[in-house]
Amino acid sequence: MAGRTIPQERPPDSTESRPLVRDDIKFAQSKIAAFQYVTVAIFVFLITGYWDLQVLKEEIFKAKAQQNQIKSLPVPAPRGRILDRDGRVIVDNHSSYRLILSRESLREEHIAPIAMGLNLDADELMRKVDRFRKQPTYFTIPLKEDLTPDELTFVEAHRGDDAFPEMELIRSQHRLYPRDGVAAHLLGYTGEINDAELNSQEFAKHNPGEIIGKMGIERFYNDVLSGIDGQRQVRVDNRMNTREVLGIKEAQPGRDLRLTIDLDLQVVAELAMEGKSGAVVALDPRNGEVLALVSTPAYDPNHFVGRINAREWRALNENPNLPLLNRAIQAQLAPGSTFKPIMALAGLEEGVIDETTTVFCPGSATYYGRTFKCHKKGGHGTVNLHRALAQSCDVFFYMVGNRLGIDKIAKYAEMAGLGKETGIDLPHEKAGVVPSSAWKVRRYREKWYAGETISVSIGQGALTVTPIQLAHAIGGIVTGGVWMRPHLVKDEKQTVPARKAELNLENVNRVMYGMYAVVNEGGTGAGSRIPGVEFSGKTGSAQRASNEFMKKKDPSADYRDDGWFVGFAPRSQPEIVVAALFEHGEHGDLAAPIVRDVIKAWHDKKIRLERPRPAPSLAKALSPLQPLSGSPAR
Amino acid sequence: MESFPSRYRNLSVLLLLLVAQLLLLAYQVKTSQDVRLIRLWAVTAVTPVARAIEWVRSGVAGAWENVFVLGDVRAENKQLKRELAELRLKNQLLAAELQTADRTKALIEFRSQVPSKTIAARIIGTGTGANARTVFVDRGSVEGVKRGMAAITDKGIVGKVVAAYPTASLVQLITEQGSAAGVISQKNRVRGTLKAQGSGTLIVDYIRNEEKVEIGEWFYTSGTDRIYPRGLPVGRVKSTREGRGSKEVIIEPSGLQGGLEEMLIVLDGVHGSVPEPETPPSPGIAILPAPPEAAPAAQTAQPVGAQQAGGTQQSAAPPASAAPSPSQPAQASSNGLATDADRLRERYRRVGESQGIVLGTTKLRVPDFNKAPADPPRPAPPKPEAPPPASPKPGAADQTPPAVPKQ
Repeated sequence: MAGRTIPQERPPDSTESRPLVRDDIKFAQSKIAAFQYVTVAIFVFLITGYWDLQVLKEEIFKAKAQQNQIKSLPVPAPRGRILDRDGRVIVDNHSSYRLILSRESLREEHIAPIAMGLNLDADELMRKVDRFRKQPTYFTIPLKEDLTPDELTFVEAHRGDDAFPEMELIRSQHRLYPRDGVAAHLLGYTGEINDAELNSQEFAKHNPGEIIGKMGIERFYNDVLSGIDGQRQVRVDNRMNTREVLGIKEAQPGRDLRLTIDLDLQVVAELAMEGKSGAVVALDPRNGEVLALVSTPAYDPNHFVGRINAREWRALNENPNLPLLNRAIQAQLAPGSTFKPIMALAGLEEGVIDETTTVFCPGSATYYGRTFKCHKKGGHGTVNLHRALAQSCDVFFYMVGNRLGIDKIAKYAEMAGLGKETGIDLPHEKAGVVPSSAWKVRRYREKWYAGETISVSIGQGALTVTPIQLAHAIGGIVTGGVWMRPHLVKDEKQTVPARKAELNLENVNRVMYGMYAVVNEGGTGAGSRIPGVEFSGKTGSAQRASNEFMKKKDPSADYRDDGWFVGFAPRSQPEIVVAALFEHGEHGDLAAPIVRDVIKAWHDKKIRLERPRPAPSLAKALSPLQPLSGSPAR
Repeated sequence: MESFPSRYRNLSVLLLLLVAQLLLLAYQVKTSQDVRLIRLWAVTAVTPVARAIEWVRSGVAGAWENVFVLGDVRAENKQLKRELAELRLKNQLLAAELQTADRTKALIEFRSQVPSKTIAARIIGTGTGANARTVFVDRGSVEGVKRGMAAITDKGIVGKVVAAYPTASLVQLITEQGSAAGVISQKNRVRGTLKAQGSGTLIVDYIRNEEKVEIGEWFYTSGTDRIYPRGLPVGRVKSTREGRGSKEVIIEPSGLQGGLEEMLIVLDGVHGSVPEPETPPSPGIAILPAPPEAAPAAQTAQPVGAQQAGGTQQSAAPPASAAPSPSQPAQASSNGLATDADRLRERYRRVGESQGIVLGTTKLRVPDFNKAPADPPRPAPPKPEAPPPASPKPGAADQTPPAVPKQ
């Protein structure tokens, strides 16, 4: 039986022999296991998420939830008021509403409808929002100041969570300036800090959105006038209605600022300059206190409160009459004959003339081959210093200038404070120009020609001054050679810097007597004599352009001469000096009534104060020196 | 072979729900809609049913109620009382229908007078919350209703739409805290902002104490809120009181009086005008109305400071007393605010004018600033040839607001 094999039953193939039911179970088990893992993984994922939300980041989300309930709102600090020397209110505050955007609830799609509702430029608003992106979210965006009733209504009707919950109303104090630009250049204005100012050292401590002084006193004394904002924490409901005040950090108001300005003199100077272009500066030469400072045309600072609109700002900037220019400290113009008192003093001090020196004025004089005319065509005849000042004889002062030379003229002009800032506490003061041989080399790389000195002798040529420099210069001369720094804030504790010069008082008196003759002895300012007041002064008219330029001038431009007048009172130991610039006024005697009225207001007030005071109750009712009880509330 | 979902149905459903929820959550976050999807769907699903139920309920509720009441009548009077009840029922149904018809007629008439494009809506429910002053109406975004639209009736403003669903909308009543509207008084044209207090009281804010508001005076919408068109009645002044800085004026809203069942939603608002106040009936003695603007102008021109110190000035009148003092007011500015500088400038200006001197210009004549200035010029009396309109119109100043003029 070898070779025959009994076929053995082959062991069943593991696959084939496996019962079908058993296979299904295995398949199901593996799949169920897979799904179990997936399910577990999903739940682990979800649980991890919940763990992350509820446990790991609990504090973060809790804080976020509380931020939705608790809001921090700024409490703006009112700026200090600006008062005159007698405590009368020049710049006040009034209560109004400010609209801010809370960045915590800001939605960008709301910007366009908000801008539409408040008549704002949506693009500009968007740019403003962009500027705040780098700031922490608790910084709010100031949107509009001093809301009108209609704007308030729009905000109130739309600030619920169903509309624009990012809008927040804040009660705040806003600046109230005198109307129609009274003292505008002196006071300046406030506005929201811009990017350039934020990056400057001057405003380093300020944050975006804050209100700062932009010009004038508001800017120079910004740190004094600005307060420190407070904060109010409130609990709000889902409609952003305040439910509970959680805490208040009170704002610290800014300090009131008492100026040296005398409001009586200021408003009289303002009225005297109505309709004219120019400036008036009144100083007390004994201490440098500025009693009045006017520049016209002016602007209304009330328009800057909040934010001036672009159209109005453009109109101000492009106005050919330059209403933004503070002519009192920035107009650098030839002083004309008002420079002659300085020339007279220089001639006397240097000994090139004395009170007996005479010159024959035929109506012109020739120097270095060129004829220089006197303002009086027929000439003044023989004149001495006294008459030359009274009649403003140009020929006499050509002679004085020629004898002095440009560098001696420059020496006395600089001694009087010309050619450099007076140091008044206002921003952007200009220095003017006092020409000299060194100055010409420095400026033009050219030598000085003696013929040029002749023009400077009568306040023309390259010589330019500002109205405040002129008042300051004459003030120092009439006090015998003491120049007190002009200043605007009354601070008894601070000593006012002074410059002194050794002057011969007899020479000073000769100059002052000549100026007295200008007004009181039939001089060029005789029309402005004040009976009973020893009012002295000097007229001046100055060309705006050279004769060569005038020949080919633009017919549309106004090249009429500027009128100047500088006066003081009383004659002995003067207490007030006033300089007035009347642009295109053509002659100084048209500027003289401006100074006359300011000095008359000063004189009349002095009389009022020297009179026996009425009974206290009557005094309170009538005296202009009493602080007002009825002034608008801060 | 059995498919996976049918084999593992429970697990599949669970997964499906989880995935769906995650997707919906992601969609909700991505779209950042104002209304939650679940709420949107729920409201959309429920409002047709609610509307149907409300329709059935309002139609037959009274009938059912009375039928049940009538079920308890005694046998001996059954017949008579049944007849009586039937008559009463009929009467009530007729009265209700009449009232509805009157209201609908008034609303239709009002709608025809208002130039704004409106759509009538019926209240189908109230908002959630114990003190909620919100109602659901049966018009939604399908009919063009959008969030922020005004809701009004012929009696006055009602509120504004705060959420619009496809077939229904949520209207926030004007008495809900946070509601506000720009208003103007009819008689004195004083502007302010109507605001709802927490208690449902309506006040008009931002009215200065010196402004005149009379009790009973009507307030109308001013249109400045950009929600309610100008010229719609708001309510009458219930009381006024001077407060700190601003006057407290409480308003009785006219739009919510006498129940509220229907309203108009303003789809496209057109501003109208505030009607002139009607003159009260003539009291038998003929009295001409005050000349226009004359009396107030004289008051403003009269310096307050001069009134206060006038007697003293006249009796003493020393030269020093004539010193220009800022205690005298300047001319009223546009916002009524002035500084001492403004007052003093006006005073000095009058000094110059009274002496015929133009300050800074006049030569040879010198001003005397210690002389009292002339009194400010008073406004001229009204010209006799232009008399104000006489024959005051009789008018009824009752609870019904004056008719809204053609806008």
